Amino acid sequence: MDTLVAQYSCPAIEDTTLDAEQDELLHGPDALSLNFSLPPIAQPSSWLRAMTDDASNPNCPIKIAHGTTTLAFRFKGGIIVCTDSRATQGNWIASQTVKKVIEINNSLLGTMAGGAADCQYWLAYLGMQCRLHELRNKRRITVAAASKILANLVYSYKGMGLSMGTMCAGVTPQEGPALYYVDSDGTRMAGNMFCVGSGQTFAYGVLDAEYRYEMEDEEALELGRRSILAAMHRDAYSGGFINLYHVKEDGWVKHGFSDMNPIFWKTKLEKGEFSNVTADME
Amino acid sequence: MEVLLGITGKDYVIIASSKAAMRGPTVLKATDNKTRNLNKNSVMAYSGESGDTVQFAELIQANVQLYSMRNGVALSPPAVSSFVRSELAKSIRSKRPYNVNLLLGGVDPKTGEPSLHWLDYLGTEAKIPYAAHGYAQYYCLSLLDKHHHPDIDLARGLTILRMCSDELKRRLPIDSKGLYVKIVSKEGIKEHVFEDEGQVLPA
Amino acid sequence: MASILPGAPQEGIGYSFSQAAPNAASEPRQHSFYPYSDNGGTSLGISGTDFTIMAADTRNVSGYSINTRYSPRLYLIGGEGPENKGARIVLSVVGFTADGSALKERLDNIVKMYKYHHGKPMSVSACAQRLSHLLYSKRFFPFYVSAILGGLDEEGKGALYSYDYVGSYEREQCRSAGAASSLIMPFLDNQVNFKNQYQPGSGTGHNLQAVVAEPLPRERVTQLVRDAFTSAVERHIEVGDGLQMMIITKDGVQEKYVELKKD
Repeated sequence: MDTLVAQYSCPAIEDTTLDAEQDELLHGPDALSLNFSLPPIAQPSSWLRAMTDDASNPNCPIKIAHGTTTLAFRFKGGIIVCTDSRATQGNWIASQTVKKVIEINNSLLGTMAGGAADCQYWLAYLGMQCRLHELRNKRRITVAAASKILANLVYSYKGMGLSMGTMCAGVTPQEGPALYYVDSDGTRMAGNMFCVGSGQTFAYGVLDAEYRYEMEDEEALELGRRSILAAMHRDAYSGGFINLYHVKEDGWVKHGFSDMNPIFWKTKLEKGEFSNVTADME
Repeated sequence: MEVLLGITGKDYVIIASSKAAMRGPTVLKATDNKTRNLNKNSVMAYSGESGDTVQFAELIQANVQLYSMRNGVALSPPAVSSFVRSELAKSIRSKRPYNVNLLLGGVDPKTGEPSLHWLDYLGTEAKIPYAAHGYAQYYCLSLLDKHHHPDIDLARGLTILRMCSDELKRRLPIDSKGLYVKIVSKEGIKEHVFEDEGQVLPA
Repeated sequence: MASILPGAPQEGIGYSFSQAAPNAASEPRQHSFYPYSDNGGTSLGISGTDFTIMAADTRNVSGYSINTRYSPRLYLIGGEGPENKGARIVLSVVGFTADGSALKERLDNIVKMYKYHHGKPMSVSACAQRLSHLLYSKRFFPFYVSAILGGLDEEGKGALYSYDYVGSYEREQCRSAGAASSLIMPFLDNQVNFKNQYQPGSGTGHNLQAVVAEPLPRERVTQLVRDAFTSAVERHIEVGDGLQMMIITKDGVQEKYVELKKD
């Protein structure tokens, strides 16, 4: 019945959107307004899925850019955050140079897996909220609070079609190094180690085997790099450049955005790893 | 959630399979052996649809042995692999195909050359230094990429197998009740008791 | 396609192989709401040290029929009046033309109102972020549009931003979007970013030295753009008729039009 009513009571032209637009023109842009227009039908989310979900429908007309392997882990010296840089729209590699580590402020990092736009937009929004928290309370927001803002936000859109798997990593005086996983289902949890994205299992394989909390900085950076390399090698949706960050007490440090190809060959030729890769044809 | 793993070393091949026989939500048996010895120097591990697996494996086993009796020679592992592949290729084009995925490991009795073959139910075949079927592929291949070298000794091979088994215990939501392990060397096939007690938790 | 989106208009007229008409009774009915059409076309942008070149073909199609041979896909954003005099930002939109022009209209309004409110023109980086938000504001009812935004940054260097349908964006050296982007993008990777190019005589295998990418001169870029389009026209049915180019420099935007094949 409701569907039937909605079908006929929906105005042909939505006056509200025009008003909002006019309002925006008069009072200046509200950069992150939370007014999203919806298709004039009863079930917007299933319609959106039919249009954009290339997993359930490879012929869908709108292919949204997706991100892939990301990892972060806590250790003695802080937190390592590492990602690949490939964005795919279906089978098409949309970009090999995506920045999947989002710098929320100089001590907080967010990572991006799932819908690229969702992560970019909502982590920018989170950055804004974190800054507002600072201005209102005269102190840095904790990672716990920041991740909760994000989790509550995405939870309020549950079922609408957002797709994101993110990690918030940061060091604050109250909590020390803290790492949270937040996804678009509304899951939020603290942990020592997370890998997110289609290449997660491959990253876990390498990371789990050699992870120790007592690692030195160099060791930890190398393990992060090597785990992403493993995922890039085995997962077709991951690749491009290795983006590596180290979060320390006094903020994060970037350790390069490096092409995977020379690193792969160096690893293979100098350490003899990847013995499945051979040039000889039998 | 069946696990098959294969690792080659400098003069041996390790073949491992999960001990759990699962039907729906039930574990029917926790000491299942998903392998068959085809001859003195090659082992086949199988997973796939229940019923098909054992039927196909025993068909292959019988035919490999029949060949040896008729011709008085043992087939080398690559030859067995080619034969199995051709049987799968015939099967997939038949009315009721076998739904079986395989790992075939062996050591050539003459040259001592170890070899491992990965085959799926479609008739795909690949000779590779380490292999996995099922969910094990997602967790173990990256690990093997890093730790495997062609000239590793048996102790190292078993250490790597332990790393794989630990990773599966750590990350797979279903317990596969440990691994049944066979080691093929020039001397033949021997069962290896793989101690696998205790749980492994994520960091 | 028909089985997946029975509500989508059947594009084009009868094909020599008669397609079975989708049987409404036997198929599960999905969404009859399909407010999009693909009008084809390809756009391309390349940025240099002190310029950005934006280009797009002017063919507008629906299915196999050509609606018009001259519909511009490049728009000036900002500037004065309806002619956008003095504008320094160019937006290209490909995909669904109606959504494209709606998007352009909104962005143009915003950039003009920005100048009215702040008394200075909007920077490209700000405009780029605003465009991202515009696209994201329709996250649940997306614009069927691939956008590229070009201009000059605060230092006077060429700036180019590319977008997906719902507003994820990135600054790049070059980008092609639309129907023939899969033909043009690999060419650009090789010719602009020198991907997979090595110094001649630097050795073999792992000794090969990669050619380091450096910003290209304007003449070279213009030629690349033309080559990209003439080639795409040969292999893609939705590209052709005319090539509209806009070259953004500190002196303003220079517009060029070149004919493309009309078959």
